[in-house]
Amino acid sequence: MVIKKETIDLLRPEDDPQEATAAARAALREPLRDLAAYHMDACVKCGLCGETCHVYLTDPVPENLPAAKAAKVVRHFRRYHSAVGRLAPWLVGAKELTQSAFDEIVEAVYGRCTGCGRCGLNCSVGADVGAIIRTGRNVVAAAAEVPPNLQAVVDNQINTGNQMAITVEELKATAAWLSEDLQLETGDEDVRIHVDEPGKRVFYLVNPREVKFFPLSLSAAAGVFRAAGENWTMSSKFYDVTNYGLYSGDDPAAARITKQVMDEAARLEAEEVVLSECGHGFRSFRWEGPNWLGEEYPIRVRSILEVMLEYIEEGRIEIDPGKNVERVTLHDPCNLVRWGGVSEPQRKILAAVASDFVEMTPNREQNFCCGGGGGMLSMSEYGDRRVQSGAVKADQIRATGAKIIATPCHNCADQLLELNKKYSLGVEIQAVCELVFNALVIR
Amino acid sequence: MQVGDKNIDFDNDGFMVAPELWDDEVARAIAEEEGIDEMSEDHWKIVNFIRDYWKEHDLAPPVRLICQELGVGVRHIYKLFTAGPARGACRVAGLPKPDGCV
Repeated sequence: MVIKKETIDLLRPEDDPQEATAAARAALREPLRDLAAYHMDACVKCGLCGETCHVYLTDPVPENLPAAKAAKVVRHFRRYHSAVGRLAPWLVGAKELTQSAFDEIVEAVYGRCTGCGRCGLNCSVGADVGAIIRTGRNVVAAAAEVPPNLQAVVDNQINTGNQMAITVEELKATAAWLSEDLQLETGDEDVRIHVDEPGKRVFYLVNPREVKFFPLSLSAAAGVFRAAGENWTMSSKFYDVTNYGLYSGDDPAAARITKQVMDEAARLEAEEVVLSECGHGFRSFRWEGPNWLGEEYPIRVRSILEVMLEYIEEGRIEIDPGKNVERVTLHDPCNLVRWGGVSEPQRKILAAVASDFVEMTPNREQNFCCGGGGGMLSMSEYGDRRVQSGAVKADQIRATGAKIIATPCHNCADQLLELNKKYSLGVEIQAVCELVFNALVIR
Repeated sequence: MQVGDKNIDFDNDGFMVAPELWDDEVARAIAEEEGIDEMSEDHWKIVNFIRDYWKEHDLAPPVRLICQELGVGVRHIYKLFTAGPARGACRVAGLPKPDGCV
């Protein structure tokens, strides 16, 4: 079901604080259009959400309670959208939304929360705290008060087509370089990174981080596609699987980012969009995108995990788990698993391609956030907290005794790299497709 | 961090607040935090290349350029800088944190 939203036309005030506040108040009406309005009023202040939250567990101060973070948003919602809040705001703790309120909201919904949704899943009354937090981010974005380093990433996506402002020439040069290396490595002259080829079945999106700093997962995906005989291409301009509008709370920007990519898929006449391993990118393109655009996509969108599992189950690729002998565990990205519903393909794949795959505990939809989600990695001002909150994940990893952490998310991978360093875990972090590529049997 | 007579400040991500204060001694001190006991010739080659590129373009270079210009493999870079080219090598080179998912 698509919930029609008119947010795409929402004006973005730039300079006038009066207008900014008016737009922010308007954004508070957003949840009324869906079930989130119910969640706004649901909290009974039991406080049990504390122990579900990696931020609270590693720094148990009252302001880190998920309920307390949500309350920073709810009090303004109540002021305008409940009868008592309108008439006698002091009775229900309702608060006027003024320009001076944004610092506190920003601190709560960006600075102390990754929007991982674990508290909402475990809430004693079923309140979707993550949805309330995101509404808070909608409000902040409508007032153009998003933390600047996070906003810069959104701006890059809109102005250049990708979050790292990589030029078209650079993308092409990188694709050529990787293709050459891959041909040398595999001895297969025809394997390559396909770019701007119309009429291919699959239009593949990647995280610009793969292009600029960590290309082994892109090479691996190309190798797996080749082994499966897949017809695929990237675009040299719109290939970015991420959507920082989800993190910033700027739905009109998120809609534009979605549209530029889906238009490119149509231009290249692809039959299917396949998303590289990216948690929030999956949630954005697979689930949120149609809501942002206000219409269904004309073509299917899947994660490469689902596609790779299909290759294995249909016998399109041959694999040998004996090629991955070190113990592997899996970190579940919140946006892919808890929010996105893709939980089993990555497990089935790892069980098939590695000879010693173990789960960390808890896992699947109960998995803890690594601490790097919600745009945290781009907001240096919260770097200390981010690393501190990752202690929960570090403990989970250590308990598995694994040498390799597979994670289908480049954002998580960066946080895990840092946790590896700060908590001396002595592990290696890989994308799932790298393990698949390594296990390929090529005849 | 005190390096010689310089007081070096870092942001919450560990990147230099004032990149112009960077010198070889500062690089060595950051490298030590990265678990690099001694900066080898390859470490220096990469760090200096990143530094020069950044001075010219105000951007961190893509890993492709580092590999092609210096003739090193990408896996070798990950071995030398275990936190990766961005949070590892760029940090040692005294750059501000690159934008985005890194």
